[in-house]
Amino acid sequence: MNQNKARLSRRNFLLAVGAGGAAGAAAIVAKGVPTAQPGAGAANSKKSSQGYQESAHVRNYYRTAKV
Amino acid sequence: MARMKFLCDAERCIECNGCVTACKQENEVPWGVNRRRVVTLNDGVPGEKSISVACMHCSDAPCMAVCPVDCFYRTEEGVVLHDKDMCIGCGYCFYACPFGAPQFPQAGAFGMRGKMDKCTFCAGGPEADNSKEEFAKYGSNRLAQGKLPACAEMCSTKALLGGDGDVIADIFRDRALTRGKGAEVWGWSTAYGKPDKQQAPKGAKS
Repeated sequence: MNQNKARLSRRNFLLAVGAGGAAGAAAIVAKGVPTAQPGAGAANSKKSSQGYQESAHVRNYYRTAKV
Repeated sequence: MARMKFLCDAERCIECNGCVTACKQENEVPWGVNRRRVVTLNDGVPGEKSISVACMHCSDAPCMAVCPVDCFYRTEEGVVLHDKDMCIGCGYCFYACPFGAPQFPQAGAFGMRGKMDKCTFCAGGPEADNSKEEFAKYGSNRLAQGKLPACAEMCSTKALLGGDGDVIADIFRDRALTRGKGAEVWGWSTAYGKPDKQQAPKGAKS
């Protein structure tokens, strides 16, 4: 009888560990999804670059190049 | 929308390599890589011509077409840039480019290639404008600062023109019309101006 109880408790313990491990893995996967976003951020920053502006500095360069 | 272009005036280039030095200094280009270089045709022969060559930021860029990981992209101003995080260093772009613009650091003794490096028209890369990461990978982002590439701005004879393609094409056209072509380029009028522009000093004897 005592042996049976001990076996049952061991099984319950193993089940609990298994369920906890699955939940942990699910949490890790859920955290892993947002890590894919920095790539998208980089793509956005490509578009958001300020780029060429016809500033006073640039106009001055064009003026000197006409000489 | 302005399209960024380089144009080298072969009649003005004096092969000083100032553009090469300016590029190296501005972008802290590593040893073994020259994003820009001066090519001289018929060196040592009277009438030799020099032109400064770098990435021409082609409208239909061969490097873009051959890249197996598609790391090249074109900005709204027509500047061809690449993403060093995606580059696998295969060297296809090096073979595809007719100007020899993409180059690899030759640091290792056993063919280590690393990431391809090329002229960025001083427009940086995909990272945030003028960030430390951008400077470390691609060099200075002068375009975002309201400036033009350091090579073109540093050119002492203004042989190397860089900027809005329409504007520099007009500047070059004016130059070509003013100086003429062939033998007209050389001689008295080039050095001292056309006869109709010269004014006789007051009181001078004729």
